[in-house]
Amino acid sequence: MNFLPLWRYQNQLIDGAIVTLELTVISALAGLVIGIAGAVALNGRITSLRWLVRGYIELFRNTPSLIQIFIVFFVLPNFGLKLPALEAAAVALSLYFGAYSVEIIRAGLDSIPRSQVEAGQCLGLSGWQVFRHIILPPALRNAYPAVTSQFVLLLLGTSLASQVATDELFHVAGFIESRTYRSFEVYAVICAVYFAMAMSFKALFAIIGLAAFRWPRRR
Amino acid sequence: MALVEIRDVRKTFGKVEVLKGVSLDVEEGEIVTIIGRSGSGKSTLLRCINALESVDSGEIWVEGQKVHAKMSDLKKFRQRVGIVFQAFNLFPHLKVERNITLAPLLTGRIEKAKARALAEDVLTRVGLADKIDAWPEQLSGGQQQRVAIARCLAMAPHLMLFDEVTSALDPELVGEVLKVMEAMAEQGMTMILVTHEMGFARNVADRIVFMHQGRVWEQGPPAKLFANPETPELASFIASAK
Repeated sequence: MNFLPLWRYQNQLIDGAIVTLELTVISALAGLVIGIAGAVALNGRITSLRWLVRGYIELFRNTPSLIQIFIVFFVLPNFGLKLPALEAAAVALSLYFGAYSVEIIRAGLDSIPRSQVEAGQCLGLSGWQVFRHIILPPALRNAYPAVTSQFVLLLLGTSLASQVATDELFHVAGFIESRTYRSFEVYAVICAVYFAMAMSFKALFAIIGLAAFRWPRRR
Repeated sequence: MALVEIRDVRKTFGKVEVLKGVSLDVEEGEIVTIIGRSGSGKSTLLRCINALESVDSGEIWVEGQKVHAKMSDLKKFRQRVGIVFQAFNLFPHLKVERNITLAPLLTGRIEKAKARALAEDVLTRVGLADKIDAWPEQLSGGQQQRVAIARCLAMAPHLMLFDEVTSALDPELVGEVLKVMEAMAEQGMTMILVTHEMGFARNVADRIVFMHQGRVWEQGPPAKLFANPETPELASFIASAK
């Protein structure tokens, strides 16, 4: 066992980790927007839109995300949409994260009792104001633990983007391995990096959760 | 013209006709208490007055304006009609101050600089000025209900509806809420209450409305109604409520 040959590749490793982080954060934010919009649509009155969202969820939750990335990267160019590898991976992973977020956020929205909505309406608030100020904050709190664990799954899942030659951590690992023939050492190192990133995010989310959701829980 | 005019209102839930042609007038400054057994339609009637429920037929007019769920200025209308619920319905994620100032701020009734003063003012009126920075969960049921009343008062409503506001409270907490409501009554607020508090109905109300099987069965001043009920249904209700 010899980790020394890896030392000269530290910059590539750091760059790879940064790409992994970018891919994760961008896909998560975009996916979260998709999730909130999809959840609202699922609870909405437009039947065709509900079916559309349901179809989207089932499609993306019941197919391998590797194939989803391949389709965005290799197939969409045939229809005139040509994206670079990183962007293609981000689009595919956003849609993947979004599909899971819809159900999580909808469960959060459904956990808010109807009486809260009525109380807001009776004070003369508009539908949007009720949603934004009365439903959404406690709904997000209820959805928060599930969203954050989904986020960690997304972080680990970004390694699939290596298959379309995105320069993220796992792809960098393959490159270093091919140069050094130190398979065990390389994968032990990036495994530790993934682990450290995942644990750091968990800690970060715990702190964000404490700061953002300060009201006492219902007894 | 009465402040509230209810004309032959009917309402059906599924196959059950809950309101079978209810007519009722409430004058400005009047305190009307609706009593009756559960299922008699009293809460439904109250919820129809601010369009939380739609009516199947008949009409409700408030301040000369016809009330229905699709009225163009429903939001403006509801700012003038406060309602307090059995379950308080405070917003758990907002402190007491924000619970009170949220709607006045969002509807443009007051500016931000005056929000806290408004919260202090209405909280003083319900005797909870010291709770302005508390979370709803930190308050007792009675205190939460008084904050809910203060939240309505912050909108300076012309009419207040109370839907069994003491029913979810421990007996020793009922008094503090009733006291606040009595003070509002003395200040001339028009109030319609659905309640099981016969003492309050007797002492504070100008008029009692007894509802039975989806109809206004009997109504009149409390002294007369409690002493000499005309119908056997009201007589038996009064006897059972004692």
